[in-house]
Amino acid sequence: MTAAVAPLTPLETILDAAESGTPLRIAGRGHWMDAGRPSQATRILSLADQSGVVDYVPGDLTITVRGGTTLDELQRITRAEGQWFPLDPFGSGDGTIGATIATGSFGPLAHGFGRARDLVLGIEFVSGEGKIVRGGGRVVKNVAGFDLVRLLTGSWGTLGVITEATLRLYSVPSEPVTIALNLPDGAAGIAQRVGAMLSGSIAPFAVEMIDAAMASHIGLASRAQVLVRVGGNFAAMATQREFLSSMGGAHEIEDGVWTRLRVAEDSSPEQASPIVIRLSTPPGRTAELWTKAQRAAASVSGAMMHATPSLGIVRCILPGTITAAVVESFVLSAESSSTVYERLPSSLWETLSPSVTSDRISQRVKRAFDPDNILNPGILGPLA
Amino acid sequence: MSTTALADKLESIVGERFVLRRESDLLVYNSDGLPGYRRMPRLAVFPGNREQTIEVVRTLAAEGVSYVPRGAGTGLSGGALADDVVLLGMHRLKRIISIDQDNLRAVVEPGVVNLALNRTVAPLGLLYAPDPSSEAACTIGGNVAENAGGPHCLKYGVTLNHVVSINAILPDGDLVTLGNPDGETAGYDLRGAFIGSEGCFGVALDVTVRLTRKPQAVRTMLADFMSVDDAAHVTSAIIASGIVPAALEFMDGPTIRVVESSVYAAGYPADAAAVLLIEVDGIEAGVDADRDTIRRICLDGGAREVKIARNDAERLKLWQGRKKAFGAMGRMAPHLVVQDAVIPRTKLAGILARIAEIAAENRVIVCNVFHAGDGNLHPNIPYNADNPDEAERVHRSMGQIMRACVDAGGSITGEHGVGLDKIGYIELIFSPDSLNAMCKLRDVFDPDHRANPGKVVPVHSCQEWRGTPASRAVENAQPVGAP
Repeated sequence: MTAAVAPLTPLETILDAAESGTPLRIAGRGHWMDAGRPSQATRILSLADQSGVVDYVPGDLTITVRGGTTLDELQRITRAEGQWFPLDPFGSGDGTIGATIATGSFGPLAHGFGRARDLVLGIEFVSGEGKIVRGGGRVVKNVAGFDLVRLLTGSWGTLGVITEATLRLYSVPSEPVTIALNLPDGAAGIAQRVGAMLSGSIAPFAVEMIDAAMASHIGLASRAQVLVRVGGNFAAMATQREFLSSMGGAHEIEDGVWTRLRVAEDSSPEQASPIVIRLSTPPGRTAELWTKAQRAAASVSGAMMHATPSLGIVRCILPGTITAAVVESFVLSAESSSTVYERLPSSLWETLSPSVTSDRISQRVKRAFDPDNILNPGILGPLA
Repeated sequence: MSTTALADKLESIVGERFVLRRESDLLVYNSDGLPGYRRMPRLAVFPGNREQTIEVVRTLAAEGVSYVPRGAGTGLSGGALADDVVLLGMHRLKRIISIDQDNLRAVVEPGVVNLALNRTVAPLGLLYAPDPSSEAACTIGGNVAENAGGPHCLKYGVTLNHVVSINAILPDGDLVTLGNPDGETAGYDLRGAFIGSEGCFGVALDVTVRLTRKPQAVRTMLADFMSVDDAAHVTSAIIASGIVPAALEFMDGPTIRVVESSVYAAGYPADAAAVLLIEVDGIEAGVDADRDTIRRICLDGGAREVKIARNDAERLKLWQGRKKAFGAMGRMAPHLVVQDAVIPRTKLAGILARIAEIAAENRVIVCNVFHAGDGNLHPNIPYNADNPDEAERVHRSMGQIMRACVDAGGSITGEHGVGLDKIGYIELIFSPDSLNAMCKLRDVFDPDHRANPGKVVPVHSCQEWRGTPASRAVENAQPVGAP
């Protein structure tokens, strides 16, 4: 059983763990501890008390915060200056920036603003050897040194514990508006409708497809839809509204729908944690993948899904109670060219998901930054 | 293996014409776009295709020979200089392998010239966003190595944000795919680590890049100022307004005058202290409003006039002066240092004043032409590198400018890379432990340090740390002419 430890600094905890050979499970606010493969860690290193702003000059549109700062806190601070950090990963806003970067998480806003790898300018982390390391910087453009920021982003805490991050911010020019349109049946119809949206007279923040199950779960009419979030100056907003209206069946919905989408999987009536799988493909084939995934999901009761067509990603939420065989058959019939498992019951990881760090280079990376294998050991796969 | 035997072996792979071994033939490869540094390669080899590249790299690996990859040699940090090692020229691999309009992708060989790709995709209404000023010559492989930027990176992001995946050959001859052209990858972002690794992690054999739809509308304007300080404050004000211009470029008086007296004359007001070249793009209805807002900010901030391009011809003319400014400076002196540093955008006015002081103290002329919207400075100094006194003053000025930018919270390079030129400054911004971590990352890809040896991170940072950093600063970064 894991036990929380007294408030040592992350550095002290890591030095102590390295000394005693105690594997650590790195945690932000402790949400989604079931994400990733089960780790062999016996002790928790929590960043929950490592929060707050280190440096914020609104005129620079950058902010430096400590790793345990929550996304909600970040938004509160930046909103006060008419700015925002446009990254909306799935899950509660109570999650931390450190965990968001470490897991490379993102949400629908990735359509307009990119993912964590595009928005993080600099980081400070403590390596498995207990070294305090910085990568990147506090300016918006920087190519000095090898890119440790990209290396750590999405490394799931296995290379270092992120203690500080500098982020790129944007101004909020006006309150964004969300418009829902029906999604036609069939891959060709979907591709046409979404294609028109991605190449048309709009510059959306987000374009997200949701299926009927997801729509009804987040309080919309139970049918497949595409949600478009637009912003910009007054003239741009008017044109975008007009363009979307011309597509037929468009209606404005409240912007709060995005918050409900973010937490949809955790507000599911199912008791067990859900299974979350991301299927992906080159973006032009999203409609095809979506249609196949929909067909595959027909045999899985309680499945919901949504997709970001510009990224070619279809995110599927399945009940946590289904068997490995059902998951396997679902993934197989969806025919995705790439599958990323976000959340699985611990018993299914070995069966379903191969190690994602088994290649020679990744194994060497892990050894270089965490030679004693004390940081989240096993969460991305075993060290050979 | 002797140099002659190695050259013979490489010739058997690529053909006689594509191995250079005589000093007179190699002379042209002893420098890159940055004057002041000369390094003579031991040999130069130019494979003609993927298979030959693989065989060449594997031969070098088998023989334990170091090499420096090179694209078009337009780099501005001395990064592509081969000091008595093999120079591996990649410019013959210039096939655009495929263009996929549906998925907004292109697969290109590393020697494809940036502008050639853009010209090929333009008729499809697409563009490849990173647009370094050397776009007419520089290659995609070099862009990946340097994580190249350009004026439009303010809105569109740098090379890192536009590369989907890379097939590369590592220094030991292993072939790897970094990133995934067909979907997401889980695990470490090795593609991200590779981009900007300045040729130290391997050589790209092909690159899958993301293409961008051309914006529906573009508005380009030129604001001119009688004071550098006003132009700097207006830049900060535009950024703070929340509009993200497609580009926001700054040119100071000396730059304007040299451009206007050259064949690249763009109609900039020759008596101005500074001009801002500003472009907004996006959907038709939105750009006019953004243009009007920016125009108002400029006039309120002291602009004498804001000239708006009425058509494509006028737009291209305004841009030509900016893009060819470095070329125009060639008229001022035999050599030109194009420098590169970054500062937080609110610090612009202060840093420009400080740069002017440094120039006066050292009796050098600094022409500032840069990506103001990103805070990415390019202080350029025309000079004669063969005059040791002048070269020393230039070198000293550059050091002082770097320090001033670091003191302002900035970085020593925004898009040119560290290479050889900045290796003496990197300890100003990274601690020994951070540099050591970077060395470890390099060891992952190239444990023998045979790929572009001696660049980016000082050799002593890669050993277990001993001694004081200050005693070792500015090692092997002395340009020609400096003491």
